[in-house]
Amino acid sequence: MSNILSINSITKFYGSIRALHEVSFDVPPGSVFGVLGPNGSGKTTLLGIIMDVLSASGGTYSWFGEPPSERSRQKIGTLLETPNFYHYLSGEKNLHIAAAIKGRGKDDISRVLEVVKLTERKDSRFSTYSLGMKQRLAIASCLLGNPSVLVFDEPTNGLDPVGIAYTRELIRDLAKEGKTIILASHLLDEVEKVCTHVAILQKGQLLMAGDVNVVLTNEDFVELGAPNLDQLRTALAGLRGVRQLKDLNGYIQLVFEKDALMELGEINKYCFDHGVVLNHLQLRKKSLESKFMELTN
Amino acid sequence: MLSALKIEWMKVKNYRTFWILLGITLVSIPGFNYMSYNITNNSFPKGRNGQNPILGSPFSFPDVWNTVAWNASILFIIPALLIITLTTNEFTFKTHRQNVIDGWSRQRFISVKLVMVLLLSILCTLVVLLTVLGFGFIANKPGPGVSIIQGSRMVFFYFVEMLSYSMIALLMSILIRRSGLAIGVFFIYMLAEQIVVGIFGKSYHMKWVNYLPEEVTDMLLPQPYAKALFQRNAADWEHHIPVYLAISALYLIIYCVLTSRRFVKADL
Repeated sequence: MSNILSINSITKFYGSIRALHEVSFDVPPGSVFGVLGPNGSGKTTLLGIIMDVLSASGGTYSWFGEPPSERSRQKIGTLLETPNFYHYLSGEKNLHIAAAIKGRGKDDISRVLEVVKLTERKDSRFSTYSLGMKQRLAIASCLLGNPSVLVFDEPTNGLDPVGIAYTRELIRDLAKEGKTIILASHLLDEVEKVCTHVAILQKGQLLMAGDVNVVLTNEDFVELGAPNLDQLRTALAGLRGVRQLKDLNGYIQLVFEKDALMELGEINKYCFDHGVVLNHLQLRKKSLESKFMELTN
Repeated sequence: MLSALKIEWMKVKNYRTFWILLGITLVSIPGFNYMSYNITNNSFPKGRNGQNPILGSPFSFPDVWNTVAWNASILFIIPALLIITLTTNEFTFKTHRQNVIDGWSRQRFISVKLVMVLLLSILCTLVVLLTVLGFGFIANKPGPGVSIIQGSRMVFFYFVEMLSYSMIALLMSILIRRSGLAIGVFFIYMLAEQIVVGIFGKSYHMKWVNYLPEEVTDMLLPQPYAKALFQRNAADWEHHIPVYLAISALYLIIYCVLTSRRFVKADL
């Protein structure tokens, strides 16, 4: 099956400012694809281009293996930046408009209102909604017609903790249903918990893209502790395949060269053979946050 | 296009401001004409034939076509306000983006706005037509031998002028995007053109000012009151009508192209 989205050398200039520079990646079907980057990295610009609200200065993209069209956008549920609705209309009437534009019937409106728990306020004007309710209405609009592809740009922006937890849970549930989700965020733990793939942007440049397991491969490290850290440090200095050795929070962190990661038992035996009795030994995965910081700093 | 128009209707049918401005637009046409009728009918002395010799009988056939259309043309600012409000609302609420994200093409979005402007112009023209018939048949019954259809083309000229002003309002809304600013620029533009026409046209008799965007459509509807005092060269005006219409049509095409291109090409 072809990729849901293929981005090829997308470049965008705002006057002399280059917001995106030849960004290319593919979003495979069924993936939860995180587009990461600090504020101003070009995430929203990229999503704006692929939803045709911004024009690219260069490059191409395709949805469902075909050139972009209104028909392809009708098949995608999108929440870009802020919820955009007619303030003077009720939540339900706004969804009527969205459903009509998407070419869907009205019959799905009550379902999506129920999903986002807005049924009771469906007749209230949009202008009377709280920020969280507005965001939930935007998510309801995305879900109209049960699309197989969803695009969320900072979906938890401005939400309270309950709203954040609710949105995360919803995204997880949607991912479990096998939907393809493109999720732009600068909240890394949000992305790390749900994403199968990531693309990392900085100042409009694509730093890395691909499967999370590939992007973070060989990034496991070992955390060791002993009563005498100096003695431990000296002993570990002779260990083969160590790329980096540093003190962290009262422990020593060992990062190995590619494919040189040792079994914990071997490390324990090595230390014991060198006269060090460990009181802490743990294999840790590098967090997306550390990887992100490493790439963007 | 019909489905797009239905969606456009969904956007406005529960919008109070839309109904207020539309109501004012539609009521003001007969209302302003009635006010004018009262003034011309009651405030000036009448001769033996029941007419003021200078004013003539502006609300009787065939002059009523010209009078009602001209009076209605003074009120263009009200439908222009409606167009600017509805269009800039889309930018204020960012729903122009959302409509495209949800699956409309940019061309469809702007095309339906152009059609709305056309429909509003047709609606106002119909009200002008009904107002003409109202005054012509009810207020002043046509005398024997008076042609009823003579001068009826004034309603068409009103339509051209109304469409032209409305298209300028739409173009400014698309270019400026902010309601207050768009209204301000629209007013200033109207005023500026009238000043230019006043200075160069009336003082220096430069004919080119007659072909400016507003003025060329204004020229289609001559001032109907006291024709005896403001004698114009009717033959010269008649001779120029095809030119005024052709240039008005050219301007309308330019407004359409500029409005569409701007929305289709710009970042939303």
